[in-house]
Amino acid sequence: MNDSQPLETATTSIQAPSGAPDAKTRRYDRQLRLWAASGQTALESARLLVIPASATATSILKNLVLPGLGHFTLMDDKEVTGADAGNNFFLDGMKSIGKSRAEEGVQGLLELNDGVEGVADVRDIKRVLKSDPEWLKTFDVVVAHNLDSSILDDLADLLWPGTHLVVVNSAGFLAEFSIHFREHQIIESHSETAASLRIDKAFPALLDYAMSLPLDTMDITDHAHIPYPVILVRALEEWRRECEQVNGPSSGQGAPSNAAEKKAFKERIRAMVRKFDEENFEEAESQAYKCWSTTGIPSEVRELFSFYSSSASSSSAFSALVSALSQFAENNSASPLYTSGLLPLTSTLPDMKSSTDEYVKLQQMYRAQAEAEKKVFKEYLGRGQVSVDDASVDSFLKNAHALKVLKGKEWKMINPGSKELLATKLTIQPRESATHLALVAVRSLRAKGVLSPLEVHSDTTKDAPMADALDKDKLKEFLTAEARDFLPPGAELPEEEWNVASGEIARAPSADIPTTAAFLGGLVAQEIIKMITKQYVPISAGNAASSGDDQLGVCVVDLVETWTGVI
Amino acid sequence: MVQTDWDGRYYHIDQILDTPGPRTDEGFMAGNGVKDFLRNQSKILVIGAGGLGCEILANLALTGFKDIHVIDMDTIDISNLNRQFLFRPKDVGKSKAIVAAEFIMNRVPGVKVTPYFGKIQDKDDEYYLQFNLVICGLDSVEARRWINATLVNLVDPENPESLKPLIDGGTEGFKGQARVILPTITSCYECSLEMLNKPTAFPICTIANTPRLPEHCIEWASVLEWPRVHGDKKLDTDNPDDISWTYNVAAARAKEFNIEGVTWSLTQGVVKNIIPAIASTNAIIAASCCNEAFKIATSSAAYLNNYFMLIGTESIYSYTFEHEKKANCPVCGGDSLPLNINPDTTLEELIEMLTERQDMQSNQESIIVNCFKAVISASSAATGGSDQT
Ligand SMILES: [Zn+2]
Repeated sequence: MNDSQPLETATTSIQAPSGAPDAKTRRYDRQLRLWAASGQTALESARLLVIPASATATSILKNLVLPGLGHFTLMDDKEVTGADAGNNFFLDGMKSIGKSRAEEGVQGLLELNDGVEGVADVRDIKRVLKSDPEWLKTFDVVVAHNLDSSILDDLADLLWPGTHLVVVNSAGFLAEFSIHFREHQIIESHSETAASLRIDKAFPALLDYAMSLPLDTMDITDHAHIPYPVILVRALEEWRRECEQVNGPSSGQGAPSNAAEKKAFKERIRAMVRKFDEENFEEAESQAYKCWSTTGIPSEVRELFSFYSSSASSSSAFSALVSALSQFAENNSASPLYTSGLLPLTSTLPDMKSSTDEYVKLQQMYRAQAEAEKKVFKEYLGRGQVSVDDASVDSFLKNAHALKVLKGKEWKMINPGSKELLATKLTIQPRESATHLALVAVRSLRAKGVLSPLEVHSDTTKDAPMADALDKDKLKEFLTAEARDFLPPGAELPEEEWNVASGEIARAPSADIPTTAAFLGGLVAQEIIKMITKQYVPISAGNAASSGDDQLGVCVVDLVETWTGVI
Repeated sequence: MVQTDWDGRYYHIDQILDTPGPRTDEGFMAGNGVKDFLRNQSKILVIGAGGLGCEILANLALTGFKDIHVIDMDTIDISNLNRQFLFRPKDVGKSKAIVAAEFIMNRVPGVKVTPYFGKIQDKDDEYYLQFNLVICGLDSVEARRWINATLVNLVDPENPESLKPLIDGGTEGFKGQARVILPTITSCYECSLEMLNKPTAFPICTIANTPRLPEHCIEWASVLEWPRVHGDKKLDTDNPDDISWTYNVAAARAKEFNIEGVTWSLTQGVVKNIIPAIASTNAIIAASCCNEAFKIATSSAAYLNNYFMLIGTESIYSYTFEHEKKANCPVCGGDSLPLNINPDTTLEELIEMLTERQDMQSNQESIIVNCFKAVISASSAATGGSDQT
């Protein structure tokens, strides 16, 4: 349950007096354990536009309507065909044929959750782009499935960067999607890395306490209940003092560095044991590495300091928090021994072998120090122009070690994008890039109307398996020619990978098959939830502060070999 | 064709079934043969009609499976509604299998879903032998171990039709996995048991004497105090009154020990061992399971060999690999055959390998007939016969 979190924040405000949660909390219980009340509130205020009402599009929506998305508009100017009724679970089978795809789709989706608002829009997106562009910009996220390049280009231009555009493209067993945003800031990244306990840079109260314990004479039961951080701080301090006698003052720094020293240090811990079964000392030995993993500012967080000091958008709450954090890292007056190079302490302790009293005592020491450091942090924050509420400050400090700022790419950087970059990608990630290119090529062909005769031909119930074999070969040729337009002159296509990717597309160029639609529906909905809640880490083109421009941020899917990859 | 197959109904899926792709085995015979097998002859069992099961049933129905059976012993709870999309608030308290089956049959005409509201253990070998494939969408390790062992034991080398591919899916939060198990041939569920995260178990002395976490107080209330106060009456984890009692007792103990963080929801989570679950992850894993079922049943493309793992917490990370059979697996180890298979191997080839290894004298065609009727139309067409059935 690594990606779960305690529910305190999710439930304290909505608990009935008996403690039992209300119906809504019970309905959403399994997801509140992932993104808490804050994530749920964000989801419930989000507005989404989805174009058109394809099987893939309604699959994406289904996974957002169920957890309680605020509003969606489904836009489609077409009528339901036999093919739609056959592959879209949210249409009502034959009964829907001939009716509006958007209206039928919305009706099927709204059955899933009466807390969600859903609207059908039967206009043609091409016309809306001309007649009502400002309205399109009122959405938080716009999802476009298998739209022609020409429409996509205009839509992307219009929406960038205020509304996030999700471009989804699929054919048969192959699919891809990308999210277009400028910058995405994440405080609650739900990182599996815990914040440092600062064993190597103990704060005064912890150090004093560790040194005050009469280890050799204290009650043997108490001895067996000393929490391991206290044991480690004590052992490290004694090690440092011995080093000082040999090498001169160490100013509270230094730790065993080579294998021999580390081994000796563990033996030192073992020598502190007074009774054979003291599990707390065993735990201390297994956690001894915490003495030599230096507490500092993680590089990803440090990069943000300079990124936001040079960034123009310094008026947001996030940049104000980062700025205060960078000042704190320079000077933490609540930590006299180590005034710089630290993030504010968090008071979250893992479980450890200990008695209740000793554990609670340690927790209180950490909490007191964390409070003192929070005060320093808030002083820095108060000097800025932006006011931030206490809950946001607490959440920021709790997650400061795992902050993330992602960057995305504008649509035109992918389509048409850089020919050279795509050529390079084909050599580094040939199967993912070939699949991407094949999907790009089929979208391009679709826009040119090349696919239409083929679609009409296939849209029959009579069985003619081999009849269009020629068409498939011809289509493969078209795809190859089209793909070359996206590459620099003379660039090689990886033969095997291209054969597979273009062959899969040629087999099923306009197939929105139910399993691919459902797979994509889940994958895209997961990413949209991450974007909306600003929790967990969505796909991106890299870190805003440090990554180069060589990532596309496109997720590619192959459901024959069953793999996904981000290029 | 059945009357319910309106014009264009299978326009999308037929693009796959009418033409081989670059990764399709030569034995695949496009067209009516494979469609007839899929739509009129194959019989598939879905175990579990919960988070994964609802998705699996919908996908199978749309893909063209028309004879689907589903087993689930559970009834619908309000907390299922955030992802189990075949259920509505009015269905709370009813059988998941029955409500799901009715929903699918209403929504996708011509599909027959036969529900069984009960335990998988109620059914005998004869029952399981009637299916071509089994898909498992369960949250219980024990139930999975049972069906895995049952399907492995069902394999009779004298009777290759007894080999039932098992496709298993599981999710937890933003993570999940899907895998294909060919009993006795590939690694089985039991082979990979050690990959499971062990549920956190708190030592009883910690709970009794040195609580530190809110969870310790909750365990004290549910494991030690409940039986002391209530005697033989078991704690019903679905009864809000029982959870409230546990919560109040745990909260009092936490207060006594200066421990913070005991809430009603945490109490429920610990007592019921709740695993977070969302529709989107279930959709991904169920789609993957059904996609494998479709590929295996139709031979339309190579199938997963044999394990797909997805982690969606940080970007999208997935890992597709071949989980190796454990030589000393208590279920499939021992007298099993070591077989090296590559990702392109079809079920047909596997059966051939199996029969060769066993030096069986069976007629090859009858084996295939019994195993997968889709393959028959392939071989008869290859020898000049018609591919119309
Ligand atoms: Zn095994």
